[in-house]
Amino acid sequence: MARLTLDRELRLVQDEILILGSLVEQAILNAVDALRRRDIAAAMEVQHNDRRINNKRFAIENRILILLATQSPMAHDLRLLAGMLEVITELERIGDYAKGIAKVCVRLAEEDTLIPIREITTMADKAISMLHRALDAFIAEDEAAARQIPLEDDEVDELYNLVYHKLIQTMINDPQAIDHANQILWVIHNLERTADRVTNICERIVFIHTGELMEMDSEDDESEDEDENLDTA
Amino acid sequence: MKLRSQTRVILPYLGILAVYALLMAVGVPWLVRRGQLAAAETGAGFNPTSLVIYVVVISVVGLFAGLYVNLRADARQRHALNQLTQATRDLGEGRFKELEIPEDVGPLPETQALKGALESTAREIQYRMEAILKEQSMLSAVLSQMTDGLLIADDNGRVLLLNKMAEKLFMISQEKALGRSVVEVMRHHALVELWEKFRGGESKSITLEMGVNRNFLQVVGIRLDDEIPGRSMLLFQDLTQTHRLEIVRRDFISNISHELRTPMASLKALSETLLDGALEDPPAARRFVVRMDTEVDNLSQLVNELLELSRIESGRTNFDFQRVFPCGLMAKACERMTLQAERMGLSVGQECPDNLPQIFADPARISQVFINLIHNAIKFTPAGGKIQLSAWQDGGFVVFRVADTGVGIAQKDVSRIFERFYKADRARAGGGTGLGLSICKHMVEAHGGKIWAESEEGNGANFFFTIPVAST
Repeated sequence: MARLTLDRELRLVQDEILILGSLVEQAILNAVDALRRRDIAAAMEVQHNDRRINNKRFAIENRILILLATQSPMAHDLRLLAGMLEVITELERIGDYAKGIAKVCVRLAEEDTLIPIREITTMADKAISMLHRALDAFIAEDEAAARQIPLEDDEVDELYNLVYHKLIQTMINDPQAIDHANQILWVIHNLERTADRVTNICERIVFIHTGELMEMDSEDDESEDEDENLDTA
Repeated sequence: MKLRSQTRVILPYLGILAVYALLMAVGVPWLVRRGQLAAAETGAGFNPTSLVIYVVVISVVGLFAGLYVNLRADARQRHALNQLTQATRDLGEGRFKELEIPEDVGPLPETQALKGALESTAREIQYRMEAILKEQSMLSAVLSQMTDGLLIADDNGRVLLLNKMAEKLFMISQEKALGRSVVEVMRHHALVELWEKFRGGESKSITLEMGVNRNFLQVVGIRLDDEIPGRSMLLFQDLTQTHRLEIVRRDFISNISHELRTPMASLKALSETLLDGALEDPPAARRFVVRMDTEVDNLSQLVNELLELSRIESGRTNFDFQRVFPCGLMAKACERMTLQAERMGLSVGQECPDNLPQIFADPARISQVFINLIHNAIKFTPAGGKIQLSAWQDGGFVVFRVADTGVGIAQKDVSRIFERFYKADRARAGGGTGLGLSICKHMVEAHGGKIWAESEEGNGANFFFTIPVAST
């Protein structure tokens, strides 16, 4: 009987996580879209919706904690619940990145700055597609997919480097443009970090499935501390 | 029939009985007589031994014969019943192909009746099954062919059915989706909210943009309680195309208003200045009127180009196609623009091999394309630069090129510069209407050719277009 309750509860929490995931996906896409259309209202809405993401995350966290306390799960179930805690934190952080992009959007909307929007859109689409599939893998506990998805991070990194150098060149050519170029740097940084967060989610999937904790992206040794400072942009 | 089959059942027994009676009727008196004769000869008493043996043996044989007949009839009956059972089972489990109702079920009328009933049941079931299958295949054809996505789920949020379009929309296969929760299948918070709402009873519809593909969907939620209790249906209408057109239309309106506003505003400013007293100062007034004249020219150019564009786009333009020599066309266009180019400090060169074949084109329109392209080149090339026209043959086409040494086009703009009102560099393109290249594109395409640009920012731009060679 208890087993049934736990199973049912786990499935409900999974559904909630998927809803959180979809909120986050939409937030990133909307933020980039707002940037493309230079739409302040849309950007404000993304910022406003971030509260919803945070609330959802806390609600899920509560639910997981109650399950941990009342069901005393073991082995796989315990790893699953612990993994879920981790995943919702990552999702919430990605939500913050969306908010960061939206903030830049508000700042740049009235400026006549050239935004490499095509590359940015591609980066966002790529990262969100990774996130979407990572959550699929999370539900299906598809370990193979979880090991595969982080490899795509390279494509996002490549785009990041491309735009990064372009922006640096702009700054060198025209010091007047430094402020705006710097803002755009935040945007691509946030997108690049989004893809890294997806990698973390994938690590969790492998952990839930095998109990093995591992770092999938050895190249990326950017410290989390630095990240904390950066994404409050 | 009934009587006869009943007779068939008793007949063997009657036969045995008849033989038994006959043997008794003949044998017993005969033995009695023989016994009496023997008793008379020997003088002893009547010895009934042989008579008793005879009667006993006949009776026993008769009894066994009866038993044998009975057993055989029984076995046949059981066999028939077994076959009927098997047939019923096949019928129940839907194995119509293997279904075999035995011809011979023995003489018992009850079994016969059972067989008859089974036969008509099988016929009826098969008939109904076919009807159901037919209807089902029709429904599933409708479901899979319909252009809207459809999903049915129960009140616990488990997906029970989704059609092909829904599979495509949610990028999930039918096998994977069935039995999963709607959240897992739809993966969109707004859809889940809609689901929660109309599960509570209210039919609702929303529009939303979904995922990386940016599908623009109209979603309608419907309770199916009247037909199937506890089920709900979601219908997804893909409005992506309509939505895109809507955006293009909106952009167009906003662009055109913007283009009209600028000359209008300066006309207004100029006329106000005139009214405010500049009229009293003839030299200044003249200057203002000249500027007003230029603005009106700009406006009418814009309106003319718009009309031209809409005429070409709607296919209502009449082209005067004829065979012309490409070099002559190019030279004429070049001549018309040289003066303007030289005034801006640019040189214009052209090279055209004499052996180029004739092309099939409307000379006036192709000149217009040349002029627009050269005009464009002049605008974006700083003084001292060069504009080079050239032509060559490539298969069934003549390729024309207008190359300049100007500022070039940024990579991200190259594919978009042929869009209406698209201006890569708003500051520089101030003078134009943003329609010139769009008109070129439509004209070249109306000739069956292609137009494209190649450029590197800062290193000049190359515009190419092709026109088909006239068939000989």
